[in-house]
Amino acid sequence: MSEFFHQYFDFNYMGEHFWEVLEAFLQNLLIFAVVAVLALTWGLILALLRQLPGKKFLPVRFLTIAYIDIFRAIPILIVILLISGGIPFLEFLPKEIRIPHWLGKPDPFWYGVAALMLVYGAFSAEVYRAGIEAVPRGQMEAARSLGMSHGQAMRHVVVPQAISVIPAPMLNEMISLLKDSTLVSVIAFAESVLISRELLAQSFNSSALILTGFFFILIILPLARVVDKLIARNQGKITRGSHIEVA
Amino acid sequence: MRSTRLTALLAVSLLAIASLATAGCGSSDDDTTSGGSEGGGGGEPLTVGSDIPYPPFEQGKPGEYTGFDIELMEAIGEKIGRAPEFQDTSFETIFRDVAQGKFEAVISAATITEEREEAVDFSNPYYLSEQAVLVKEGSAIKSLEELDGKTVAVQQGTTGQELAKEELGGSEIRPFPEGPDAVNALKAGTVEAVIIDAPVAQNAVEKSGGVEIAEKVPTEEEYGIAVAQGETELLDEINKGLEEVFDDGTYKKIYEKWFKLEPPQEIFSASHEAE
Repeated sequence: MSEFFHQYFDFNYMGEHFWEVLEAFLQNLLIFAVVAVLALTWGLILALLRQLPGKKFLPVRFLTIAYIDIFRAIPILIVILLISGGIPFLEFLPKEIRIPHWLGKPDPFWYGVAALMLVYGAFSAEVYRAGIEAVPRGQMEAARSLGMSHGQAMRHVVVPQAISVIPAPMLNEMISLLKDSTLVSVIAFAESVLISRELLAQSFNSSALILTGFFFILIILPLARVVDKLIARNQGKITRGSHIEVA
Repeated sequence: MRSTRLTALLAVSLLAIASLATAGCGSSDDDTTSGGSEGGGGGEPLTVGSDIPYPPFEQGKPGEYTGFDIELMEAIGEKIGRAPEFQDTSFETIFRDVAQGKFEAVISAATITEEREEAVDFSNPYYLSEQAVLVKEGSAIKSLEELDGKTVAVQQGTTGQELAKEELGGSEIRPFPEGPDAVNALKAGTVEAVIIDAPVAQNAVEKSGGVEIAEKVPTEEEYGIAVAQGETELLDEINKGLEEVFDDGTYKKIYEKWFKLEPPQEIFSASHEAE
């Protein structure tokens, strides 16, 4: 039993390597921050494209839906490996794009960011869509009948109402994203899981991995509680019924 | 009506997935194994861990593993009457795993080092090795020193990684979980060199192409077969088997098959005391 604690909860070991693992964990937070901004934006664009009405926008809707379906279905690990394994060989692209070293970050960072953005853009788009569709159709019809164009109706009537439904599921996605930042370790980017495995290989001790787990729990648990509260509040709104203000 | 149909559809799809999954499990074993040679004898199979692939030492698909280490272990197994059963395992945990008894022995182009000896015991050396700096064909890099400040790939947990850390403080060292991944990164151009065992580098030059060895770094490394500390009986058996394989010419045959060279004479007299 003491062997169990030594293998996983060697606090001396955790103390020795605390800053090393923390520094690496900051890389996970960095990946998360960069991708969150990109994916939330990209997802919004996708969601709006998906909504464009009318026959002439059919190809746009079709492509958008195809994109979302594909990137929700493919495991992120595969996307990361395809990007890092394939892009460098595409000779027709300039080297700065094929092997990016932008802003001092090495190429595996950017391959990871690209892969996560492509996938989480798709998931975010679905969350936005759910939000938009939660708004009763009658709102859009009423807005159109008042003479607003599709764009104006979206901007002034539908989206403001959708906004209350979106945060809870979106926060869930962001929590997933933070955890999935660890996947970039497979292409040798020095984030917390890679560093912990290094330490494991050197010392045959898994405590660094547990320490990494602690860091994630520390950040994510409060966020998960916020999600729970938001969901409870939304449930309350739906069951009690609420009067929605249309500005 | 609709909800029962939906539930039925969900149930059927889950059932389909479950049956596909169990069908997948049924045919193959949990641990990928390779039966030993026919002359395995009456003894129990010897479970052996190895990080596959690492050509030319170990490569191939489960059930059809091949390579210098694989054949050597099978030859030793024949001598001691225990056919080896190989388990693919990740290199960075391989010493811990054998120390904890996950398998009985390790043969994985593993260099005998003091740190590793804190967890395992090694047999007499069975291969003399060194490191090599692998670069893309036509690269301007000709030596280890020229790698200062450049991006270098290594495999996690290897002596190549240690060498890189010691000599190249100013470079970015990227540790990959598998040796071949590091070589792929070199070919893709995301790293400028790979520091890896010389025979593996040579194999990459011949088999995968587009790369060349810039410099060999003579680190005088010796590969050994690892067992858990204290397993003196097993270790003695393995050493005896190795000795017999040296003496009757089997080692020379296997060596020439995989390296197209005669084995160096030093290996036959190299010995190692378990600490």
